[in-house]
Amino acid sequence: MLFVELRFFAFFAAVFAAYWLLKSNAWRKAMLVAASYLFYGVWDWRFLGLILLVTFVCWAVGRAVDPDHANEKQRKAALTAGVVFSLALLGVFKYFNFFADSFVDFAKFAGLPANDVTLNLILPVGISFYTFQAISYMVDVYRGQIAAKRSMLDVTFYIAFFPQLVAGPIVRAADFIPQMDAVRRWADVNVRWCLALFLIGFIKKACLSDNIAPYVDVIFSDPSAYTAASVIAGVFLYGVQIYCDFSGYSDMAIATAGLLGYKFLANFDAPYLSTNIQEFWRRWHISLSSWLRDYLYIPLGGNRNGAVRRDFNLMTTMILGGLWHGASWTFVIWGALHGSALIIERTWNKLVARRVPKFGVLGPLLGMAVTLWWVHLAWIFFRAADVASALSIMRTYVTFASDGTAQLPIQAFALLACLLLAHWIGHRMKATEILSRVPTPVFASGLGTAFAVAIAFVPTGYRPFIYFQF
Amino acid sequence: MAMLKIGRKTRSAVLATSLFVLSLATTAVAASLYFRKTSPPPQMLVLSPKLAHYRAHADQYDTVLIGTSRTQFHIIPDAFESTARACGVSNVYNFGVFGLTGAEQDWLIDQVTTIGKGRLHTLIIEEPLPETRAAADAINDRARFFQDPALYRAHLDSVWSYSESAAKRVFRTGVFAYGTAFDLSGIGRAASRFFPEPAPEPLRAFSMREDGFEALDDLEKTTADIKARNDAFRADVKGFETTLALYAAPDDTNTDRRAAYIAAKLEAINARGVRAAYFVSPDLKELNRTPVVGERVRDISPKFSVLNFNRPDQHGELFQRELWADFSHLNRAGAAKLSVKAGEEFCALERAREDNRLAVR
Repeated sequence: MLFVELRFFAFFAAVFAAYWLLKSNAWRKAMLVAASYLFYGVWDWRFLGLILLVTFVCWAVGRAVDPDHANEKQRKAALTAGVVFSLALLGVFKYFNFFADSFVDFAKFAGLPANDVTLNLILPVGISFYTFQAISYMVDVYRGQIAAKRSMLDVTFYIAFFPQLVAGPIVRAADFIPQMDAVRRWADVNVRWCLALFLIGFIKKACLSDNIAPYVDVIFSDPSAYTAASVIAGVFLYGVQIYCDFSGYSDMAIATAGLLGYKFLANFDAPYLSTNIQEFWRRWHISLSSWLRDYLYIPLGGNRNGAVRRDFNLMTTMILGGLWHGASWTFVIWGALHGSALIIERTWNKLVARRVPKFGVLGPLLGMAVTLWWVHLAWIFFRAADVASALSIMRTYVTFASDGTAQLPIQAFALLACLLLAHWIGHRMKATEILSRVPTPVFASGLGTAFAVAIAFVPTGYRPFIYFQF
Repeated sequence: MAMLKIGRKTRSAVLATSLFVLSLATTAVAASLYFRKTSPPPQMLVLSPKLAHYRAHADQYDTVLIGTSRTQFHIIPDAFESTARACGVSNVYNFGVFGLTGAEQDWLIDQVTTIGKGRLHTLIIEEPLPETRAAADAINDRARFFQDPALYRAHLDSVWSYSESAAKRVFRTGVFAYGTAFDLSGIGRAASRFFPEPAPEPLRAFSMREDGFEALDDLEKTTADIKARNDAFRADVKGFETTLALYAAPDDTNTDRRAAYIAAKLEAINARGVRAAYFVSPDLKELNRTPVVGERVRDISPKFSVLNFNRPDQHGELFQRELWADFSHLNRAGAAKLSVKAGEEFCALERAREDNRLAVR
């Protein structure tokens, strides 16, 4: 069930009405858990058992690592077991075939005898998100940031809450658990802000991302047929597509949770206006980047043990972050490209930046252009089917040369320019804030009209959210 | 005071919701109708190339057959002409379109009589298929094109005249309402206008060598689903006899209404100055229904020729297993045999009508 499908609107209307009619917090949570399992079960009910298993382990480990109930040694052992279990689950479902294939390829390359060993496993949607949330809960309890929940219903609710279940944002236990203890009040819900945010997310996903997708698909499926300008436009269009797709999903998730009284932190903040890669990662998929920082980079040692170790930690974090997105060498390279950029930036800032003039407003603009270029260079690997086709597109992207003669239609280029402008205007004007301040009748009529116009731009034939595959 | 506050909040929520729904519906319907009016018709398999051909060569054809796949795959114009020439039929166009429904047929009749005005003198129609019962088929491009408000009445007439139970008709009406709501929501209208597919799949080429006729056994070589149906037919040897037995157990549910519906179509064609006739094609799966409807049309409107070929008792030679491609369609050999007979029968009926008319005078 997708946020842009008619059946989701019917589902949410029922959940919304039932939720606010119930007075007891426990009943509300129970109802939301049931609704969340239904939401997930519509996709594939067979994997509900997997979520339940993760939830049970998460709850049990939470109890075992609670500082009030066990000694340090037992707590550490329980936490290690819980984290290993979560990662092992992820490893089996998501990475087994990748590592097995890579091992066999390597063995064959080295001239060693090897048989193909692959499992015919379906990747359960959202597994990367809910296992990370489970780890967040166990670690946050271990660190004493939150108390372990006695009720398994609470942990079930935290893991399965449907707005974030299948594609995030990755909600941190320390942010979410305290919210569920108090009864949410309708008076605290900023309805207009939520509806405006949902509409913006809907437009990003259904009207922009889904209309851009066919142009990107033709470029990435046969780049050699297209001119250099079209290939480069195709790469930038992919940047727009993935941004609109994922940030649109996040907006709708945040708005949906908001209408039920729960607050999620922002997941995107105009990332393409970043003036360097470090800033990009503070603005792109914020819930993942901050998760990787707090639960991987810092535990690895962060920047505490010298420059070499810091660079190693950075590269490890970014490569694992890449691998989190998918079991493929293209994602590893994507992570490595970002890791290298971060290392180069830090080195530049330390050794060169102070000696170079700032050039006023031109400096940040140049930084923005370079960042945008590098981020899109990395997107080539993120989108391409394999390393070979990524390299072929990258060649055109870097050298501006292609033997192809086919062209993307002119509207693809116009669209690109408009969207970059909209990205900037949207960031500067804080559209949701403005919309939430207009008088109610104007807002209601405007929202209805805007939805109607948006619906006309929704291509028939839904495309799943890109991040569902992660 | 608290009650007053709650009352005000409720009123405000109701007002806001009403305004939202009203503006959503008004804008969506207006946008949908605007895009309908300003967009070209979609490319529809078989229908679009056949209409384009007829538009370009209407001056060549004096007789047109409009029907379903049983017209498309069963009537070979040259064979029909060979025996119908004696009664003024010189050049026939086969405008059979697979899956043709009642509203689509009304639209095609309107197109053909308008385009062929002056040259067209005979229009032979086959009973259209019922409106869809599958939600997915109510929202595809072809269905949306025919969800034109001007055709709403035609859709409902088709649904409510079809020979089936009231419950099934209510369900079909619901699917039609769903398709209409989907279309009026305007979904995808602007997207297809402003973001056309960069590499659209080419439509299957359609040969006009045989004036709109296609033999199912020729298609079989290329189309997987037709081949599958043919394989299933070949494998089910007993099924042929079992299906033939349907003829002995006619289902006369609502046949009067269906016959009146078809008679009204024939009258409408006649009112445009074109000779109308009704063709009932051999169709094993419809042996218990279409022959009955055909006879009822003959009873209601004796002035129209009814070519009722779905009668094994009268046209036994068409019900030989080797002439069939599947349970609903003849192969080329069957089509050739039927086309010759249809031309003969048409002439015989027209001559009899003419004699009758002179005798009455």
